[in-house]
Parts: sequence; C-alpha cells; structure tokens
Amino acid sequence: MSQRTERRGIHVDQSDLLCKKGCGYYGNAAWQGLCSKCWREEYQRVRQKQIQDDWALAEKLQREEEAAYASSQGVQSHSQSTPPQQPPGHTSLGPFSKFEEKKTNEKTRKVTTVKKFFSPSSRSASKKETQEGKSPSPSISRHASFDTDQVSRDFVDFLKNLQKTGREIHKQCRAFIMNMSSKKDLSAEELSECVQDFYQSMADRLMSHFKGSSDSVEQVMDQVEKYIMTRLYKSVFCPETTDDEKKDLATQDRIRALHWVTIQMLCVSMDEEIPEVSENVDKAITDIIEMDSKRVPRDKLACITRCSKHIFSAIRITKNEPASADDFLPALIYIVLKANPPRLQSNIQYITRFCNPSRLMTGEDGYYFTNLCCAAAFIEKLDAQSLNLSPEEFERYMSGQASPRFSSSEGDWPHSGHGVTATNPVLAQLNHNLELLSGLSSRQETLMESARSLQADLLSWPDTVQREVNDILEKYPLEVRSCTVSAIDANNMDNDNLPPPLTPQVFAG
Amino acid sequence: MAAAGAGGGGRTYSFKVVLLGEGCVGKTSLVLRYCENKFNDKHITTLQASFLTKKLNITGKRVNLAIWDTAGQERFHALGPIYYRDSNGAILVYDITDEDSFQKVKNWVKELRKMLGNEICLCIVGNKIDLDKDRHVSVEEAESYAESVGAKHYHTSAKLNKGIEELFLDLCKRMMETAQAEERVKGNGASQSASSRRGVQIVDDEPQATPAGGCCSSG
Repeated sequence: MSQRTERRGIHVDQSDLLCKKGCGYYGNAAWQGLCSKCWREEYQRVRQKQIQDDWALAEKLQREEEAAYASSQGVQSHSQSTPPQQPPGHTSLGPFSKFEEKKTNEKTRKVTTVKKFFSPSSRSASKKETQEGKSPSPSISRHASFDTDQVSRDFVDFLKNLQKTGREIHKQCRAFIMNMSSKKDLSAEELSECVQDFYQSMADRLMSHFKGSSDSVEQVMDQVEKYIMTRLYKSVFCPETTDDEKKDLATQDRIRALHWVTIQMLCVSMDEEIPEVSENVDKAITDIIEMDSKRVPRDKLACITRCSKHIFSAIRITKNEPASADDFLPALIYIVLKANPPRLQSNIQYITRFCNPSRLMTGEDGYYFTNLCCAAAFIEKLDAQSLNLSPEEFERYMSGQASPRFSSSEGDWPHSGHGVTATNPVLAQLNHNLELLSGLSSRQETLMESARSLQADLLSWPDTVQREVNDILEKYPLEVRSCTVSAIDANNMDNDNLPPPLTPQVFAG
Repeated sequence: MAAAGAGGGGRTYSFKVVLLGEGCVGKTSLVLRYCENKFNDKHITTLQASFLTKKLNITGKRVNLAIWDTAGQERFHALGPIYYRDSNGAILVYDITDEDSFQKVKNWVKELRKMLGNEICLCIVGNKIDLDKDRHVSVEEAESYAESVGAKHYHTSAKLNKGIEELFLDLCKRMMETAQAEERVKGNGASQSASSRRGVQIVDDEPQATPAGGCCSSG
C-alpha cells in the first residue's frame, strides 16, 4: 500500500507538492499540506487563540475568586487569632473551597475522562463531596485532608499581610496548580522543570517587587512552596512514570541485607554505651523516619536537619569536640542503616525535584541533604573494601553464613563476656533480656514453692486446730453447773456504784 | 552559579566552597580557626564543624560564604561529585609533612578540572607549616604544581593562625571575579537559561560595568 502511494507521489503535479499557502516551499502532508514555516505560523495562531481563550477564562475565574477571597478575608479578619478547628475558621473557608471546586470542575472536565480510568474511586468520592459541598476539588488532591485545608488557610492568612501583592501571588499559585493538575502525564523531570520554572519566575517577580530584600522574598517563597507542594504532593511524589518505587524497594532490601554492619566497621565515633548518646541516636532515627510523613520539601529537609543535629550532639558527647564531616558522614550512614527510612529514594528524588533550589544549593539544610544523598549512594555501592573487610568475609556476612559478632569475637568469647557485650549493643541487649528472663523464672519458681508450702500449711491447719481443741477439751472437761435465775445485772459488780433507782414522785398541780 | 541578589544598592553573593583533602590534614581545624578563631579549644561553641558560614564584606559587596566540609576517608572518595556539585570554589588541603596527602590533592585537582572545568576556583593549601622541620612536600614542587593547573597555592597553620584569613579573602575575590565574568557573558548571550535555573538567581539590576579590577588585582 505504501508502495502505491509512493508511486502516486511521483506522478503528482509539482504544484501539489508545494505549500498550500503558495510561499514557494514544499509542503508536507503531516503539516496539512503546508511548509514548515507556514505550518508553524498557522499553528502559533491557533495556539495563540487557545491561550487567549484560556486567559479569558482564567480572568473570569479570577474575578470570582477575588470576590471569594475578599469575603473570606472579611470573615477571617474577625477570627484571625482563633485556632482553625473552631467554627469561625470553617465558615471562612466555606465559600473559598466551594469556589475552588467549581473552578476546577469547569477546567478539568476534559481531563477527568482519562483520569477516571486510573482512579475509579475519585469519581464516586467527588460526587459525594459535591453533595456535601464543602470539600475541595478531588482533581487536585483526591483526599483533600484536613491539613491541606489548613495549609490553604494559612497561605491566605499569610498573603493578607501583603495586600495587593498577596492577591497577585495567590492568583498565580492557583493558576499554576490548575495548570499542573492537567499535566499528569508528564515525566517527573518535566514536572520538576515546571515547578522550578515557576519558582524561578515567582522569585524574580518578588525580587523586583521587594526591591531586592532577599529575606522577604525567601519568606514568601517558603509559603508558596508549602502551598503548592502540599497541593501537588499526591500527584508528583513517587509518580508512576518513574522507577522511584523500584529503587525504594531495592534500597530497603539492601539495607536489610546489611543488617550485620556494626558501628565499628563504619568507624563511627559515637559511643552508644553512654545513655545520652544512645538517646540522641534514637532521636536521630526517629527524625529520619519521620521525613516520609511530611509533604513539603522544606519540612522534609527540616527532618533531615534535626536528625543531623542529633547526630552532632551524639558525636559531641562522645568526642567532646565539634563534629567534622569525617565523623558526621559515617554516623549518618550508620543511622540510615539502623533506621531503614521508608521510601528513601523517593524522598530524595522528590526533594531534589521540587525543593526551592536556593535552599538546596547553599544553605545548611542543603548540606545535610547532600550528606544524606551521599549516605544513600554509599549504601548502594557498599562493598568489602568500604568496610575494611576481605571480600570473602563480606560474602559470608551478606549470605548470612556468618555473623561478624560471632566470628570477630570467637577468640575472646570464653575469656571475656564483657568484650562481647561491648562490641555488640544488640547482643548486650539480648543478654540483658535473657538475664532478666532467667531472673524472672527463678522468682516464679520461688513463688510457686511458697505457694505450695502455703497450701500444705493451709491443709494441715484445720488438723492442728482440731488437735488443739481436743487437747483442751480433754484437759478441761466441760462441767455444767446448775444456774440460778437472777436479774440480768445480778452479776454486775459495779452495781453498788450506781445511784439508787429513781423513785416516782408526785407533783402537785 | 553565584546566587546574587541586589540588596540595598550593593549585591550579595552567595558562594559555596568545598573543603577537600585526606583525613587528618587539618581541614576542620582550618575552618574552625577561620570561623571561630579557635584551635583545639575546649570552648568551641559550635556543635559541628562540617558546615560553617561566614559573612564578608569585600569592597562594599556582601558575600555569604558557605563552607562545606567533606569526609576525607578514602572509602568516601567516590562520593566527591555529590559534594562539589555546583560549588564556586574548592580548597584542597594537604599536610606538608605527608607526601601522600599531597598526592591526594593532585587526584582531586584532576577530577575537579575534569568535572567542573574552569568554573571553579581552586586553592591548594599546605597546612601545618608550624611543623616545617618535618616537611616532606617541597615549597617549589607544590607551587609549581599549583601554577600548572591554574590553582593558587597557600601555606597555612591552623595552630598558629597563619595564612588563613588571606586564603579565604583571596578565594572570595577570585570567586567574585568569576561570577562577574559569568554574568557578563550571560548578559550578552542570555543563552544559558537552562543552567541558570538550577539555583542560580541572577538579577540584572544594573549593567555590570563596575570596575572589577579594584577588588581583584591583589592576586
């Protein structure tokens, strides 16, 4: 078939091959018979029109939104200091989120047809939500949770201080989120680029607005990031288009396989025998695990920073001098190995893609994040050499044939139990627990014994009592004396002391 | 690379500087001396010496310096690129009493030039000159090597507080020079928008015609 069309093409008149616009260049069927130049012009014009239409729509929405914003502002000014859980906060949110729903419904109707194949639940959920009429649109965040609302409210609150600029920023952000929610099929890198471009242009505009006061710009950018990323989190964290999830699983398995790595192999200068140090280690582990629960890149970074600070404290207590990178990185690797943080790779990727770059490049947070990336890379590539082990040893440990805590302490196991406990905190814990258990069981036995003897005592007690009673009965046989009837108080010795009984007296009158 | 924002008339430069070198050459002492002016002191207040910042004012321009320490152990060598990515300057430290540590510096230089080209300002630093009697790396050798790779060479002693201020001040001036040159290129070409997105925020508030020679002629 293709042959035929080709042949036909050869016999076609020269003029048919030319651009339909008559510019003299050759046209192409793929460009509707136009040449590349004319096609581009045409295409641009159509696109321009589309863009203009979009703008008109956006402007219309904007006017509505401003009205909603103003009304929400009006209500909120009364209840600025009240916590958001309270009713005033809710009423203020009412028109705001309702409006949002309307807007997104209008805009994303086209998208949902594709989307519903992927998320059948979202549609039914959205219907229900519409009936309730107060949850934000499902297209942005399927399960718009309480904190999403909270973030929106905080954002509006924050922008109120900026007045007109605030409204402008708000408008920009909303338009951007709207725009992003229709771009679900982009690759992660493209999404990242969109977000970064947005940060960039927003920062540029703010920079000129604040006349270069980088502090205020940073402040606003933090809020913008918080708002946008909370909204986009569901759709851009660990997206299906990447193999982040696979990497997560690989890392998780890898860390599990490396469970035998000891603190000595990594030459970490932390002494977990010191209670304060182990406390800091535990806190660091908690922090790094907590990272996964945050949505905003900056909050995730804050978790890493907190974790790092705890590591520094631990090193400082152990070594009594400020920690250098030589101490810090091994310690962080150790913490990551111990913590096995959930979705480590996804989180790293997410932060890299969507964090405000100025923070990531030069700031302190950026430094700790870089170290975390290093730790992840190190763990991934970890081999015998990096732990100062021979390849054979490494293989044996990896395959589970041997465990370093036994092979390394084989020699001194019989001599010094203490050496073993010192080298293996886990083993020490185990021994400790065993001791506790054996102590417990011996106490239990003692208890059982006492209970048994108590039982025997109890059983023999009635006999003893019986015997004693019999003895006494034998010794003092019962004598029944004849008893004389007397007044009740006849035996009372104190009778004499009592006053004489009252005699009845007669009073006259 | 330099995140520069116009601030009250002057500009603020933010530079990232990585410290590279083998363990035990005194990287940490060097930064601690520079940022805290302390050496082996029990009163060092900072919790850590791996990330330190310093604010400078050089010929009326504000400079924020972020100094990134790196783990010097051999087994972490492969992680270098993660650390020095996007840095404006690198300080490569060796111990003058340790020939090996100088060899390490040479490896780092090769790697940095290969990965980052000439964008990065290199400083080769021979530390521990208070131990000059045990010197194993000759001054001539070190200086000629530095010159051959387009780096500057310095001699310092963190213990005696020698040469450290000069080192950092010089480095800052050179980084400013590089940043300004880069801006000029960008101002003309404006073609590197892709790379500028990565953490580079350059605001062209005024044409960069201010004389750069004033602050950079010291080298």
